[in-house]
Amino acid sequence: MGFGTLTFLGIIVVLVVWVIAIYNKLVTLKNRYVNAFSQIEVQLKRRYDLIPNLIETAKGYLAHERGTLEAVIAARNQAVAGLSAAAKDPGDARTMAQLGSAEGVLGNALGRLNVVMEAYPDLKANQNMMQLSEELTSTENRVSFARQSYNDQVTEYNTYKQTFPPVLLAAPFGHGPNASLLEFEDHAAIQEAPKVKF
Amino acid sequence: MDFFAAQDRARRKTWQLVVLFAIAVIGLILATNLLVAIVVAFSTTAGVAGGVGQTVHDQSAETWWFITFAVLVCIAGASLYKYFALRSGGRAVVEMLGGRQIDPGTQVLAERRLLNVVEEMAIASGIRVPAVYRIDESGINAFAAGFGTDDAVVCVTSATLEYLNREELQGVIGHEFSHLLNGDSRLNLRLIALLNGILFIGIVGRLLLRGGANSGGRRDSNAMPLIVLGVGLLVIGYAGTFCGNLIKAAVSRQREFLADAASVQFTRNPGGIANALKKIGGSASGSHLSNTRANEASHMFFGQAVTLFMNSLMATHPPLPVRIRAIEPRWDGKFIAGAPVADTEDLPPGVAGFARPSSSATHDAVVDAVGNPTAASLTHAQATIAGLPPRCVDASHDAWSARALLYTLLLPDDRASRAVLTDVLEPQVVAHLPEIERVIGTLDDMQRLTLVSMSVPALMTMSRPQYDRFVADVVALIRADRRIDLFEWVMHRLLLKSLKSHFEGPTSIATRVQHRNLDALRDQVAQTLSAIARAGSNDVQTQLRAFAAGVAAIELDLQFVADDDPNFTRLNDALRELRALHPLAKPRLIKGCAACALTDGPTSSVRALLIGIAATLDCPLPPDLAL
Repeated sequence: MGFGTLTFLGIIVVLVVWVIAIYNKLVTLKNRYVNAFSQIEVQLKRRYDLIPNLIETAKGYLAHERGTLEAVIAARNQAVAGLSAAAKDPGDARTMAQLGSAEGVLGNALGRLNVVMEAYPDLKANQNMMQLSEELTSTENRVSFARQSYNDQVTEYNTYKQTFPPVLLAAPFGHGPNASLLEFEDHAAIQEAPKVKF
Repeated sequence: MDFFAAQDRARRKTWQLVVLFAIAVIGLILATNLLVAIVVAFSTTAGVAGGVGQTVHDQSAETWWFITFAVLVCIAGASLYKYFALRSGGRAVVEMLGGRQIDPGTQVLAERRLLNVVEEMAIASGIRVPAVYRIDESGINAFAAGFGTDDAVVCVTSATLEYLNREELQGVIGHEFSHLLNGDSRLNLRLIALLNGILFIGIVGRLLLRGGANSGGRRDSNAMPLIVLGVGLLVIGYAGTFCGNLIKAAVSRQREFLADAASVQFTRNPGGIANALKKIGGSASGSHLSNTRANEASHMFFGQAVTLFMNSLMATHPPLPVRIRAIEPRWDGKFIAGAPVADTEDLPPGVAGFARPSSSATHDAVVDAVGNPTAASLTHAQATIAGLPPRCVDASHDAWSARALLYTLLLPDDRASRAVLTDVLEPQVVAHLPEIERVIGTLDDMQRLTLVSMSVPALMTMSRPQYDRFVADVVALIRADRRIDLFEWVMHRLLLKSLKSHFEGPTSIATRVQHRNLDALRDQVAQTLSAIARAGSNDVQTQLRAFAAGVAAIELDLQFVADDDPNFTRLNDALRELRALHPLAKPRLIKGCAACALTDGPTSSVRALLIGIAATLDCPLPPDLAL
């Protein structure tokens, strides 16, 4: 039993501990961003549930604006599909991009509806409508907060993956591709989504 | 059960643990040395001729030291690694087992029911509401982990959610809370780290074996000893596992009975926990976990998580029938075959009238109540939550609006400083302040503190940058009027202490016992009692009377401090020292504080202060008896 064997043993010990540590950290960070995505999911679902009610209320006043209403419904359904695809594998580049663009389209459609509504003071004064718009705005804010949290976690995961020792091990451990941020296309339109006065 | 004695016992158990660990380490060193001698004997012809005994005898002292050193480095390295990995507290264990935090605002009925149960129990026992995690497993099991109540998390399996009804959940969660309150969970975390060191040798053995087997094809003359060494280390590793399991069993088993008993006391419903145990017995997967890493944490769970060879000797938990009989002596021996619980809305339990804190509480009752919630505390907590405006409760369950809620609680009353402050906050949050303000205006201090506690799990879902921003905003709001008022101080204590534990690692980990009794800390005690007396009244005579009552209860010669402490700096300094008191010296201090607070019928701000002080001293106070 010489120095050689002992050194060998020592190196193995250090390496094993190190590799385990990297593996665990990768798993932890991935879990965190997946968790963060489920927060977005909750808020987006709430938002998608509100929209049919909004349309139902608006219908009576906007008989001549069928096209706008249908566009909102179509965009909403598209976004629902995008969300359920994205929820299956959060961080996947393709589904994230899909959800992002579906959200962008929905935001635009809602923005147009908002513009149309300006011409109907009765509708704007409708108690139910006011409440719905308010809830929609508040969900909007929640979504953006949850999205920020998710993007922060994804960035932390990606950064860790790209630093030196983990970069060698990430792919063999099944952490190959970077997780994808969730960006909503056309932010401006979303900011314009139903404005509510307090 | 006495909270302080339990804390003390958990501390002394730590020593017992260290001794057992040391014995295991010495055993492992001897075994490894012997093994190396055998390997040498087989690898040299001289050794084979002279026999193993001869080689052992011939082995030089240098080699002995060498091997001993190597084994120690191995064990220490692995233990330290785990120790550091677990430094982030309860969260680290859950994440190790792949747990996911349940969304605090969840609308899934089974999850909502669980969160409500946990919320009620946390409020009842005076700790902040812990984050709740789930792991997908088919066995019915649960655990609580954390160094203290600040970094505590609760985790249940998906089967638990599916098969246990509200009462049974209460039983299980009550059991877990008892572990948290008694300092068991802190001991459990240390145990994981120590055991990792012992188990590690086995892992190295497995690796060597694999390496040796791979090079075996070349008929390398060096491969043979490597394989023998690998097998040997593996055997030693198993011996290590064996020792480890014995240690776990020794430390863990008795406590399970205590936790079961505490759960019954807490819920006043032996049926709840007994039926939960019977359902474990009646379910095909029992309380078994399939996650291979569950072994490391098996001593933390509600039920036996891993079945072992020689189970009766090494089981971390007493057998189910024994546990059930301890709760229900007349049990007929029949388990309950599990059927999923119907998805019914979790209605708040029927609360007859609004429970008011018992006004007859004495300071002795307060001391007894620390960390020792009763069924009355639970009813009181349920009533408190039921009395909160539903919109506020919903707001506290969502990270975004929970911030708005807490900002609202901290905003000063005068318009000028409000305007300045709202400029600092994010505009979207500001837009929501008036709405929350409308509902919140009528709440008393205790209700506000309840909301603060309920907001914590939602705030834990923030990312680190969001947390940094939040803390900066809260501190700005507290400092805004250049004066910290009492409620702000308590809120800072309750909220930031636990969020800090979550995001920056537990604070309780560094607390060591530095003072065995109160005699050396007269000044600090005087500061604390004076702060309570001053909070109670503006009249000096009344303050002096309250102070004198505290002094009489604490039996120390103390000097009243009359001058104001506008930023609570003196109180903070005093509490930092007092926190490091030996657990058995704390009841006297709490008694003094309670006596001081109870003179002249405590106002709500005095109660809040008492709760804040108790929380800082790591003595959770059930709100019903606090006052």
